[in-house]
Amino acid sequence: MNASLLIAATLLLAMTMTGCTHVAPYERGILAHPTMTSGDLAGPSEAHVRAVHEGAVGGGASAESGCGCN
Amino acid sequence: MRLGRVAARVAWMMVACTTISGLLLAHVDRADAQPAGATPKKKKPKAAPSASVAPPAPPPEPATETTPAPPPPEPPPPVAEKDKKSEDEKPKVSNVSARVGTEMGAYTDTERVTVLTPSIYGAVYNPTGGWSVSGNYLVDVVSAASADIVSTASPRYEEVRHAGGLSAEYKPGDLGGNVYGSVSREPDYLAYTIGGASTYDIFEKNASILLGYTYGHDVAGKNSTPFEVFSRPVDTSTFKMGLSYVLNRRALLTFIYDTILQTGDTSKPYRFVPMFAPGTVVQPGASVQHVNEIRLPERASEHVPGSRNRYAFSAGFANRFEGATLRIDERLYTDSWGIKATTTDIRFLADLGQRVTLGPHVRLHAQTPVNFWQRAYVSKGVEDLPTLRTGDRELGPLTSVSGGTYLRVYVGGSGDPHKVGLGLDTYVTYTSYPDDIYLQSRLAALGAFTLEVNF
Repeated sequence: MNASLLIAATLLLAMTMTGCTHVAPYERGILAHPTMTSGDLAGPSEAHVRAVHEGAVGGGASAESGCGCN
Repeated sequence: MRLGRVAARVAWMMVACTTISGLLLAHVDRADAQPAGATPKKKKPKAAPSASVAPPAPPPEPATETTPAPPPPEPPPPVAEKDKKSEDEKPKVSNVSARVGTEMGAYTDTERVTVLTPSIYGAVYNPTGGWSVSGNYLVDVVSAASADIVSTASPRYEEVRHAGGLSAEYKPGDLGGNVYGSVSREPDYLAYTIGGASTYDIFEKNASILLGYTYGHDVAGKNSTPFEVFSRPVDTSTFKMGLSYVLNRRALLTFIYDTILQTGDTSKPYRFVPMFAPGTVVQPGASVQHVNEIRLPERASEHVPGSRNRYAFSAGFANRFEGATLRIDERLYTDSWGIKATTTDIRFLADLGQRVTLGPHVRLHAQTPVNFWQRAYVSKGVEDLPTLRTGDRELGPLTSVSGGTYLRVYVGGSGDPHKVGLGLDTYVTYTSYPDDIYLQSRLAALGAFTLEVNF
């Protein structure tokens, strides 16, 4: 299953890469808006609730640390 | 007595947060009240969080979104010697900025679990120098009396967890890197995490590649028992690959692939799994009393496999419209225990004027159970217990739907409203457990108030 997950990711990546256009540095002002951050907008409380309620982890922009909750 | 001590600690944290916030606001007020002739501070974009796939080096935020692209800069005219001297005499503006914030979260659910989470965080960063240093600290005060606890005749308990982290990032050019570390401690659990990541911009900074590694060492123990007497180590290695690129002037796309390799016994020492004689019928959502009437007398502790490989792939899309932002994230997950999961997270954030951002947030999660999941484990006696057994409903089949709101109100001066931000996040989750022995559903609510000050 993890192999098929990787293949699906690669295919999706290849498909979307073909649709991007070159954007010059002076054209990226809008991308600097705080809501466009690549990080998660969830605060520590919400992130912790997700970690406890969901049986899946990972895939986030930042690292997760362990806790003995559940 | 113990509840009193916990309340005192929370009160102390709230007083500390309030005091820090007051000092920060006083400092901001003084900065805003500087003389008209003084050089105003140049606004800097927020530093990217550590270990993230940052969008490739965007310039400072423009005054309006409809500002046309500026013409290429002309070469500066020759400067006379006298003008050079006067430039040298001008006061230098620091490129170093800082951000400090606090959040107070409160959680409750229909399983009589309540959690209070005060936290503080801060960062010092220099966008032109390409470096940042940040830190955070939080306290979880958990109070619980869920069905799992009641079913084992254990009393309601309170527990406090402390967690803190530090990170540093340096990215002077196309190549950059960051390191981070965190510690989490509660009476029966200790977790250390260290890691680092490197990013490299390609295609004239239209794309950025991330490679990262995180090592975690956890020690699980038992309450009121020293770690020297009882402890179970758990080691976790996380390999992270990421790619972020600019789709167009308004849109970003991010991909993250995580491989998480975990070794160690993660069975919960407090969790006991009821056993039943062959042929016993147990309906989902049975009461604790009914289960106790029909179960076998054995008290079998939870036992899960000693290693687990986990894989997660996520894709994130963010698009900035005129006065609003749409964010869509999708995660696909699978692991060696047999769970397959999908998680979809959607936010729409609308600007209500210059000072308010408000929007809905929806999150959907669905997963299959681990391959050793059973609602009612069958046994013929103590010598015939199933090798693998769990009562953790987060390892069973479940579906959850979450909805919430994201509100930010910026109360900085008229020149820079975003200097001070107040936030209120609400988050309600309904989780359905179609094959759990004690529960069929759970409703949970979370509210978090934030204050952030930028210098």
